[in-house]
Amino acid sequence: MASPLLEASELTMVYGTVVKTHALKGVNLTINSGEFSSIIGYSGSGKTTLLNILGTLDRPTSGTLRLLGEDITKMSDAQLAVFRNRNLGFIFQFHHLLPEFTALENVLMPTWIQSRNGSMKMASRAKELLELVGLKDRINNKATALSGGQQQRVAIARALINQPQLILADEPTGNLDSETTEQVYDLMRNINANLKSAFVVVTHNDHIAAKSDRIIEMKDGLITRDYPAAAMDNDAVWSEIAPKYCRYCNRELETDGATALLL
Amino acid sequence: MIFELKIALRFLKDGRGQTTFILLGIAIGVAVQIFLGTLISGLQKDLVNGTVGSSPHMTFSAAETAEASGLGSTNGFVAASAGNFSRQEKTLDNWQPLLTTLDQAPETTAVSPVAEGSGFVLKSGERWPILVRGIEPERANDIYDLKSKLSAGTFVVEGDQVLIGTSLAAEALLEAGDTFTLELPGGQRQSLTVAGIFDLGNNSLNETWLFMSLSRAQRLLGLGDDISRVEVQVEDVFAADLLAEGYEKQFIGIKSENWKVQNASLLSALTSQSSSSLTIQAFVLLAITLGIASVLAVSVVQKSKQIGILKAMGTSSASASRIFLFQGGILGLIGSVIGSGMGYALTQAFLWGTSIQTGEALFPLEFDPAAAGVIIAIATVASIVSALFPARRSASLNPIDVIRG
Repeated sequence: MASPLLEASELTMVYGTVVKTHALKGVNLTINSGEFSSIIGYSGSGKTTLLNILGTLDRPTSGTLRLLGEDITKMSDAQLAVFRNRNLGFIFQFHHLLPEFTALENVLMPTWIQSRNGSMKMASRAKELLELVGLKDRINNKATALSGGQQQRVAIARALINQPQLILADEPTGNLDSETTEQVYDLMRNINANLKSAFVVVTHNDHIAAKSDRIIEMKDGLITRDYPAAAMDNDAVWSEIAPKYCRYCNRELETDGATALLL
Repeated sequence: MIFELKIALRFLKDGRGQTTFILLGIAIGVAVQIFLGTLISGLQKDLVNGTVGSSPHMTFSAAETAEASGLGSTNGFVAASAGNFSRQEKTLDNWQPLLTTLDQAPETTAVSPVAEGSGFVLKSGERWPILVRGIEPERANDIYDLKSKLSAGTFVVEGDQVLIGTSLAAEALLEAGDTFTLELPGGQRQSLTVAGIFDLGNNSLNETWLFMSLSRAQRLLGLGDDISRVEVQVEDVFAADLLAEGYEKQFIGIKSENWKVQNASLLSALTSQSSSSLTIQAFVLLAITLGIASVLAVSVVQKSKQIGILKAMGTSSASASRIFLFQGGILGLIGSVIGSGMGYALTQAFLWGTSIQTGEALFPLEFDPAAAGVIIAIATVASIVSALFPARRSASLNPIDVIRG
């Protein structure tokens, strides 16, 4: 049994000195190589806080975190920066790309950070990735000359350039229309299947959550439920998710399995 | 380093309007500094040249002694007598070694021994008091530029041939070729011929100076082999006082005088001019620095999303701050190079503009590339320093604060 990609133990996060906010109250989580997981929950449940800590962008108040077998909590900021660059990929909801650079340059950015220069050595790999995400013809467009969905796809290509084992995404489709959302999601699953990168996706979009291998539900700073969705059929998954999080669901429709879309 | 440079260049290129604006600001500031500096130093050189360009920068004579009454002494002569007191001026006897040393010194540009004494010019029954100046013609010409200042006659200073000034010539109605009688304090008379008439631009000198050959003057004034003083011009005019002191120490029985002491008010005017120029330059530099600092501070805020994304991708805080230091340095370097060009153009415009009326510029300006290089270096360093504060702020930017938006 391969060692897990990520092992989080009793993570807590407390903000503020006078008025304390307990964003995480003791989170335990293990992610294995190649898994596609979604973290869902209401705003304020601590999803983003958890993701930031898992991505080493923030440090927990207490608890331990092991990534690829290394104890993250013992690393300095500079060491974490290097670790992030080499092993993790990020996809955010907003502010994906550097507007001053082209699509190709944005994808190459992580390699430039690693090699500390601006060499085009990895350009062919970058072009491959841009082709993978369907942007072969937009390689030399400046980021500002791309639509929101195209920018997000460039961001996905960028997240992959250093071949990370774990990709963390925070509401990657939150800013996109439904059609583009589908495309982006399919792309992520494709990458997960072919390149074997693990995904941890924080999302409000139940459609993405429903199609993940594993669903992690959070509430009030704790993981309340953690179950493999891959094994379940569509209706079963939806009956798990929908009643709790779908406020606008028509309950009658819900029992009629023929109707697919609930908004 | 190359990574930060590449990012910095792209950030600057992208913010075209803002970058151009701050570059212009730096360029103007540097242009002002260079133009002002060149102007002030050109004016200074011109003033100093006008004052001491054609006169000695330092003179060496024997240490003076004063004696009460009594004419005649062992090795001196009466330079002047006022009432019962006479001022004895000791002559410079062992002057050859001093002359050789001064000749060989690299700092000196002209060395001229002088035998001086007072006398009277007699013509048509009238007498005019004059100062006999015995010189070696070529050496004296090095200092006084006599050849180009002759208004009549020729530059011949030997035997009976002497040079007198325009004012004396006008008063005594002497023309080139005329003869007159020189009367000396001891009572002797000597018939002399006017070889040439000079105009030194100073009425007093044109009235009283009479140039004669050194050997003839020594004989007439009873100096023997001695002289009165050695007059010297030096390369670095402003070092004249230090150099004079140095030689004074080196040779015993010598006292020195220099132009700085004799022109104290001019000197203080020049010094205050220099210091006010430097003050202006310093404040211009301060203004440039503050300008860059504020523009970059704004830039940090504008680029905070980009910095957040870069840090999320693994850029260290030190690396992020270096991006802004590079921005400052690039702005400073390019801005100050442009400014140097502008400053040079301004000096040329000044020369052209002031020469329109008279055909000659007000005073010559020397554009000093070395000085410009120093200003460029200082401006670049100042720009990097002014980027320090914004750079530190970018270093402390937390990616999760900016990304969540």
